[in-house]
Amino acid sequence: MSTSRRQFLGGVGALAAASSLPCPAIAQAKAKLVVVGGGPGGATIAKYVAKDSGGKIDVILVEPAKQFTTCFHSNLYLGGFRDFKSITHPYSALAKYGVKLNHQAATAVDKSKKTVRLASGTVLPYDRLVIAPGIDLKFDSIPGYSEAASAVMPHAWKAGPQTQLLKKQLDALKDGDLIVMIAPPNPYRCPPGPYERISMMAHVLKAKGHKKSKIVILDPKPNFSKQGLFVEGWEKHYPGMVEWQDPKVHGGIKSVDAKTRIVRTDLAEYKAQLVNVIPAQMAGKIARDAGLANDSGFCPINPENMKSAMDANIYVVGDACIAGDMPKSAFSANSQAKVAALMIRGELAGAKTFPARYTNTCWSLIETDDTVKVGGRYEAKDGKIAAVETFISKTGESADLRKQTQVENMGWYSGITADIFS
Amino acid sequence: MPNSAAVRNLIAAIAVSGAVLGSVPHMTARASGEPSKGDRALGEYLSSECVTCHQLSGQFKGIPPIVGWPEDSFVEIMQEYQHKKRPNQVMQMIAGRLSEEEIASLAVYFGSLKSSR
Repeated sequence: MSTSRRQFLGGVGALAAASSLPCPAIAQAKAKLVVVGGGPGGATIAKYVAKDSGGKIDVILVEPAKQFTTCFHSNLYLGGFRDFKSITHPYSALAKYGVKLNHQAATAVDKSKKTVRLASGTVLPYDRLVIAPGIDLKFDSIPGYSEAASAVMPHAWKAGPQTQLLKKQLDALKDGDLIVMIAPPNPYRCPPGPYERISMMAHVLKAKGHKKSKIVILDPKPNFSKQGLFVEGWEKHYPGMVEWQDPKVHGGIKSVDAKTRIVRTDLAEYKAQLVNVIPAQMAGKIARDAGLANDSGFCPINPENMKSAMDANIYVVGDACIAGDMPKSAFSANSQAKVAALMIRGELAGAKTFPARYTNTCWSLIETDDTVKVGGRYEAKDGKIAAVETFISKTGESADLRKQTQVENMGWYSGITADIFS
Repeated sequence: MPNSAAVRNLIAAIAVSGAVLGSVPHMTARASGEPSKGDRALGEYLSSECVTCHQLSGQFKGIPPIVGWPEDSFVEIMQEYQHKKRPNQVMQMIAGRLSEEEIASLAVYFGSLKSSR
């Protein structure tokens, strides 16, 4: 039967109404930036793009945690030099710059559709995406180790409950106990970190008057960051307590046993009371699943702008990326993030851009008022981020200078956390 | 007009930080009519590297605040780092790679800010 006159006119009216609606392309939508990961890399980009883009860019920060415990200075908490609260920072202040916080995990990236899927099933479209998930641990890189085993033999290489577990274990040790650390192979987050941790553990034991306790470091590397400075410090402050073994000595790490805390190398077997396993590392899962990593497990980037080498609409900063001569550190992540933020504003808001420049300084506390540092400045050169100039503390420095370096260390922590989270 | 109390605090901060033992920045008065060579916008861009350590709020938690400095003092101290007359490896490296225009621009930018501490 034919359509009634009323139905027909109603249909034409509806069609006419639909044609007079504004076409979405004409209404100027803000450019969309989605940032996955709220560490020093991601949170810095979110804040800087939001605060400097004059409202032209919509910034969403996707991060499951409502507050961030810094891995940097977590060793100082272990050593009793600061408390857990002081290394934990809420994200709430970022909202005042216009950053939209989405406290969920990101589960997948669709590069062709330019969307990010969240754990709830929500799909976020983006014009540009930042992937800054940090590291994941290769639990199977040490025979006998696993994620479950980390409840007994913590890695504490992602700050939070693992750090608190390690602190609890450390504080419960008795005089004569043995600590075994398995240090990680290159490349890894925070090159001097394991050795600062050893220093902090030794400090705790010394402060309690333990004279018979020992710390053994089993290292897959033939040398390590700031080695001369750490060895000098250990000999000065903790004589006879710390033994570092390189692969020529231990012959290879064979296994760890979470039930017995027995660690086996080619050379010997150790029955430890505390085992800190820091496994080999790779970029966070979302970066690898999105096809942004190469065979190394980390993500290659364009050193001139921090864009992923795999996708021009995606930036990767921080520990997940391959940053040439820059170490994986919070300082580096924050420095790379500022370059990326500038380039994103250039692409999405027409901001003026300048050639990328990067810096890093890493401070390590060896004992009270005895801190050393290493650092440099970097530029895009020969297809990578290359060091232009570097510096390092010297052995034999005065106590005054080492004390001043510690004052600087604390000042830097206060500054960078204000820069990222305030 | 420089806030003399803030500058005194700054000088005290530099001394405490041990950057120079026993000496303080020499305050030079700018010759009248001498224009600043610095560009504030350039200074703002460059400042992102500085504010990781030198807090934008002007708070002093171990690293000297550099907000609201007289421009001449800022330039002079950076030049002292450049010429390695003032010890601190981080600052010598940072100052060492900045041009005269860049230092002047940073001086203008940071000098224009008010400390909120």
